[in-house]
Amino acid sequence: MEGSKILRTAKLINDNPNAQKRVPYHYVSHKTAAEENLPGRFELFILDEGQQKIEVREETKVPNTTVFTFNKEDHTLGNLISQRLLKYDFITFSAYKVPHPLFATFELRVTTDGSITPKDAVVRCCKDVIQDLSKVSLSFQGEWLNQKIIEEGQRDAEVRDQGNY
Amino acid sequence: MDIDDFGPKEPTCRMLEANDKRAYFIVRDWNLETANSLRRVMLAEVPTLAIDTVEVIDNTSVLADEFIAHRLGLTPLIAEDVDKLVDFRDCDCEDSRCDNCSVTLRLKAKCTGNDVMKVYARDLVIESMPPSDKLGQPVITDADGLGSCIVKLRKGQAIDMRCIAKKGIAKEHAKWAPSAAIGFEYDPANKLHHLDLWYEGDDPKKEWPADEVRIDLDGGPEKTDEPFNYDAVPERFFFDVETVGGLSPDAIVNNGIKVLQQKLASVIKELTGVDEANAGLDGAQSPAMDGGFGNDGYGNDGGYTTPGYGGGNAYAGGTTPYGATPYGGAPGW
Ligand SMILES: [Zn+2]
Repeated sequence: MEGSKILRTAKLINDNPNAQKRVPYHYVSHKTAAEENLPGRFELFILDEGQQKIEVREETKVPNTTVFTFNKEDHTLGNLISQRLLKYDFITFSAYKVPHPLFATFELRVTTDGSITPKDAVVRCCKDVIQDLSKVSLSFQGEWLNQKIIEEGQRDAEVRDQGNY
Repeated sequence: MDIDDFGPKEPTCRMLEANDKRAYFIVRDWNLETANSLRRVMLAEVPTLAIDTVEVIDNTSVLADEFIAHRLGLTPLIAEDVDKLVDFRDCDCEDSRCDNCSVTLRLKAKCTGNDVMKVYARDLVIESMPPSDKLGQPVITDADGLGSCIVKLRKGQAIDMRCIAKKGIAKEHAKWAPSAAIGFEYDPANKLHHLDLWYEGDDPKKEWPADEVRIDLDGGPEKTDEPFNYDAVPERFFFDVETVGGLSPDAIVNNGIKVLQQKLASVIKELTGVDEANAGLDGAQSPAMDGGFGNDGYGNDGGYTTPGYGGGNAYAGGTTPYGATPYGGAPGW
């Protein structure tokens, strides 16, 4: 009963003239139709035409203060740089804000004690974080290899034990 | 000699689990902001490969074209050596699909028998010439070697689709996410009192079972007889990186670190390049950059340009880490 039903449906499909008539090479992208009116999500990380990555604005009302506007960046850099800066003695103020959640941008405001410009402070901070990350990376790679060898050894031992049974 | 004489402590890793699926590790003597940024980068900004456009040549299955295209997009593909692909937005080719910026897969199946035919990820066949053998192969982890099921066909039904896989990041679409989940935790014993535990009975400890293993790894439970240290900050972080299959867990971590470093390098480049721009250079090849890491006091441990990072790592490619524009060379990254 079930079998004959399937056969009949299959025959219908084979005989269906429309099944053969479809336009070949119909393109389906992963993000058109339903999202047509939305801005592409790549706008979160690809700079607009003529847009600069970082806009630097000196704060004239407060000494040694600069506001950096980072375009197409988010909390990943904002929090990282602003919090890291606070650890230096020459920083008197450092914070960031995302003015609007729909725009991929953040503002970083930095004040120093005058011994270094805010821009140089940010550059130094970035260099230091890069150094730190390199240390983590090296340590991670070494540890990964060690642990992987250990785990593979354990697995081999288990296989051997099972074989001895 | 006191240990503090050696200057600030350097971050170090301790691996707890390392296999094809998972990298479970602790980073000691680190800070929350960098650890969290690494977590965010591994979630959303490590490039992988996923099917992005589907050319439907034939589809008489019960599922709509878009439906299958969506399923194909979410099918994990091996992303090893994805750095060898150019970002399709930067490629000069027509309709952004050439061997430099994409991998083409074909899914072709017709059911002729009376039984329902299942079409699996393993049925995706690479049609183009990818830069490496593995790149773009469907990820298959099950014992039967099938991969995930994409459609079912009944007698007479057929599908024929050409899928163009491209390099991308999960910030654009989750199909490019390298990791299924990233566990991230610090201070499991809540010694820093960053958490205020909700409780409905008399004792929050009864309602919030402690993770004894992690607490042991994190220096034991809170010492109630000592005064609270208001200056204490988190410095030990648990990472648990689970892969979707496209990249090995260690590659996700290494690439995550690399992407974050490139992000920071682009900030340095942009900021130091501004001065250069005034001097008539446009900052693309700023001399200050080349000297920056290697020579001015960072030279001793090599750091960013260390062989362990640049040379030993297959993902570093042939470019200098510094000048390389991250993520396929989108300008300004
Ligand atoms: Zn191309």
